[in-house]
Amino acid sequence: MIFSLTQILLVIIAYLTGLFAVAHLADRGIIPKRITHHPAVYVLSLGVFAGAMASNGVIAMAHQFGYNFLLYYLGVVLMFVLPLILLMPLLRLCRVYQLASLADVLTFRFRSPWVGSAVTVAMCITLLPLLALQIQAVAESIHILAGDNAAESFGGNRNNLLAFLFCVIITVFSILFGTRHVSSQHRNTGLVTAIAFESLVKLSAMLVLFLAAVYAVFGGIGGLEQWLLENPQTSNQLTQPIQGDDARALLLIFFAGAVCMPHIFHMAFAENNDSRGLRIATWGLPLYLLMLSLPILPVTWAGVKLGHELPMDYTGLAIGMALQSGAISTAAFVAGLSASSATIIITTLALSNMCLNHLVLPLSPLQIDKGQDIYVQLKWLRRVLITILILAGYIFFTTLNGRQSLSQLALVAFIGTLQFLPGIIATPYWPRANRTGLLVGLSGGLGIWFFSMLLPLFGEQSPELLTSIYTLLLGHSNNLSTATALVSLGVNTALFIAISLVTRRSSDEEKVASEICSMDDLARPIRRILSVYSPAEFSQRLALSLGENTAKSEVEKALSELQFSSSENRPYALRRLRARLEANLSGLLGPAVAHRIIEGRIPLLPSAHTDAEDIHLIERTLDQSQTHFTGLAADLDNLRRHHRETLDKLPIGACSISADGELLMWNQSMQRITGIEPTEVLGSLLGDISHPWGAILEGFLRGDTETVIKKEVAMDHSPSRWVDLHKTLIKEHDHRNTVIMVEDITDIELLEEELLQNERLASIGRLAAGVAHEIGNPVTGIACLAQNLEYESDPKEIRFMAQDILKQTSRVTRIVESLMNFSHTGPYLEKTKLAPANLADCVDEAIHLLALDREAKPVRFDNQCNRELLAMADSQRLLQVFINLLDNARDACDSNGQVHIRASNVGDQVQIEVEDNGSGIPQTLHSQVFEPFFTTKDPGVGTGLGLALVFSIIDDMNGKVHLTSPSSPDVKTGTRVTLYLASACYGPDFEM
Amino acid sequence: MYINRFLLLIVGVVLIFFPAIESWMTSSEIAWYRPYQLWLLIVAAAYWNQRKRYPDDL
Repeated sequence: MIFSLTQILLVIIAYLTGLFAVAHLADRGIIPKRITHHPAVYVLSLGVFAGAMASNGVIAMAHQFGYNFLLYYLGVVLMFVLPLILLMPLLRLCRVYQLASLADVLTFRFRSPWVGSAVTVAMCITLLPLLALQIQAVAESIHILAGDNAAESFGGNRNNLLAFLFCVIITVFSILFGTRHVSSQHRNTGLVTAIAFESLVKLSAMLVLFLAAVYAVFGGIGGLEQWLLENPQTSNQLTQPIQGDDARALLLIFFAGAVCMPHIFHMAFAENNDSRGLRIATWGLPLYLLMLSLPILPVTWAGVKLGHELPMDYTGLAIGMALQSGAISTAAFVAGLSASSATIIITTLALSNMCLNHLVLPLSPLQIDKGQDIYVQLKWLRRVLITILILAGYIFFTTLNGRQSLSQLALVAFIGTLQFLPGIIATPYWPRANRTGLLVGLSGGLGIWFFSMLLPLFGEQSPELLTSIYTLLLGHSNNLSTATALVSLGVNTALFIAISLVTRRSSDEEKVASEICSMDDLARPIRRILSVYSPAEFSQRLALSLGENTAKSEVEKALSELQFSSSENRPYALRRLRARLEANLSGLLGPAVAHRIIEGRIPLLPSAHTDAEDIHLIERTLDQSQTHFTGLAADLDNLRRHHRETLDKLPIGACSISADGELLMWNQSMQRITGIEPTEVLGSLLGDISHPWGAILEGFLRGDTETVIKKEVAMDHSPSRWVDLHKTLIKEHDHRNTVIMVEDITDIELLEEELLQNERLASIGRLAAGVAHEIGNPVTGIACLAQNLEYESDPKEIRFMAQDILKQTSRVTRIVESLMNFSHTGPYLEKTKLAPANLADCVDEAIHLLALDREAKPVRFDNQCNRELLAMADSQRLLQVFINLLDNARDACDSNGQVHIRASNVGDQVQIEVEDNGSGIPQTLHSQVFEPFFTTKDPGVGTGLGLALVFSIIDDMNGKVHLTSPSSPDVKTGTRVTLYLASACYGPDFEM
Repeated sequence: MYINRFLLLIVGVVLIFFPAIESWMTSSEIAWYRPYQLWLLIVAAAYWNQRKRYPDDL
């Protein structure tokens, strides 16, 4: 059955209009999201791999090589069944760094715009045969359907015109739906859905051909079996394997094609950033390809049985024509049309992105200062590039003039892109690889490919030298293509390895390589200091390269993705913002341009410290990852978790600070003590931590002392807290971090205060009898005077008696005041108030109080303190100190005991000595007497808190206590307690 | 990058023994669709495998 040209064009237009409609409906959301975002759609969109080669070329291949045509599918199947080899690492890389093409990946990995440009140019050249293949398949199909004879269909003007028309339609479609989003971050839903639809159409058409071949040509499965039995030469040809090396080479070529071919790369990674889709594709795509390849053998045999004169590539069309069936012919034509159009659209889209990012944008063609939106400019640049690329494919096709079969063209393209395999494998697996090695290896491999594969397409002979080398290396191989593939790849790999080993990597390459090649996909971010301190500054700096609006919108987008506020100023957060901006700009402008803009506008400051890994970010990434380590990695991870847990649950607050003051660790106890969550402070500078902790920790960090005891922390809305601070320097390689331990001793302070009060009460208890006696005497006197007063009438006597009563009451008042003064504690945990205190008065007060104790030994207290001497002290607490010291001294003396209290100025300090002539304290007990509850007195006599409180109070007043016993080496008795306090004087506003 | 040893083993085995497997598959009088049965088995294995979480998942 012959179709008119109009009919064929109508079929093409109807099909592509249907495709437009699907893409449009998906983009508008009319096709529900649950369908367009279903993993099955992603899997079907990967069917773009099966271009015209799958619908036409493999039939010829099956006819010639039997089962070996399956290698075309099995290479891809192998890549997807084992996604951990390359697919998952590449997906992660593309997702994290917003890379959309192979050139992006290699540019990012090897940190050179030259790599991107070279790869892009090489990719464009190697893909021209693939584009020509698709155009040729459609153009020749049109000619066959239109009834032209085979000889005419190869390269005639009419053929070229129809091919041109087809290219124009495809260009329009690519432009309309492929450039909808300028950034590779956004999935082109319409495009992906349309390509999935094309895969379904392709599969349906192939199944129609299968049914036609089996039932219409052979009369059913039985008929097919019977025909095979009757034609053993066909069966033999089927099961006659090609050379082992050739099979392996073909498998490798198509295996590499799954990641090296830009259209597959684009659909697998640029249009998908979800590992779930890729996981389903690991079995979904092999299943799809199985169904797609199932009709190939029956269709081929049907062609053999029918004995048609057309090239075997067009056996589907031949079956339709032989059966006089328009439907079968249309199905065969649509299978080729859908396969070709999908491949052309996605290939040119991917190539246009690469050309834009690596050839055009590095020339800085964007108009920034005229207020133009760069998104629109990018869109138009991409559209122009798509047009140029499809035009280039068309020119290549017309130049070839139909001289080559589809499978030959496919092999040339696949072997060309195979040369990128060493670079792709080295990206995640070989940190030592460098750009020089890559470029030299690529030049070697592509050079051989150019002379052995590309030039012969135009009728040139492969150089004899190369042919001799193939024979020398591989023996007399039947297949020049596979020999070229093996030799070019071998040379490429050898050069790549050798040059990488003998040349040095740049520091930038080293960093990225260690980041990408690190264990289990975990990046090891480096902590550097930024030159900007707020997101607003980011916008201002980037506006110089992107324009004000674009810069602002990109910064806002990155902040929102990271869930940071616009007031964020933590260095850690700003570093993440910078990295995210570079990744997002990489999706927009390519990694080379993005890197250049970020490095130029937001540079990292030259650090005085060696770059340190961002421990906090590494921990966070490790904890968030779902990675299950095995072997040594698992042991190390368990160890890390154990240590982390230990530090985190430590009952003492611990925080780690880098040399530049950035907080790297903040454990749970720190959170409990300070009330500050780790998420609020990690990654920020120590001084930026909220009041009062920031100032305290920073002051301690900068200070000389390694320990601060009883540091009071005045809280804004709660009682003060007391902490002990310790710090230690950790030197690891070239990094110097400081760990600060914060011990909350508030409870101990409260207990100490309580003990102080108890001791006061105990002292008051001991004085009670004396107090009663002291108060009793004047009260008795007052009573007597009052009785006499009752009968006294002489006014003079009454006045004298009243004066006596007043004297007695003032005596009682003084005693009561002294007691009240002593027992007074003030508010709960009142702060020690240091003020000039008169030492002599304080000692007098203590002596007076002790004198109330009538049962005590009659020891003589001798206050020799200078009346003018002042010390910086809390007089209330100092009184307690003297009470305790004098009381102890009295207890140590016999009835002839003497206690001397002397005070003198020593430099800027006051030295106070309390010396007795008592029994003294044995040398062995000196270290214990200041401990709480230690006493040498009889049970029930002393509490053991006296000297401990003396030590504590004097320490609170920033003083020191020193014990000397015996007080003099000559007499070997007596004890001298020496107190050191800061000297003081009354200020000018002091009032007497 | 963490290299899965099991995967490397499988790839190595496939590459080394691929011609032998192919010869075995096509050596005797067999149904023409036998390779597809093997292929279907691979698909089933891949389906079973992806149901587990990959140790190297994103």
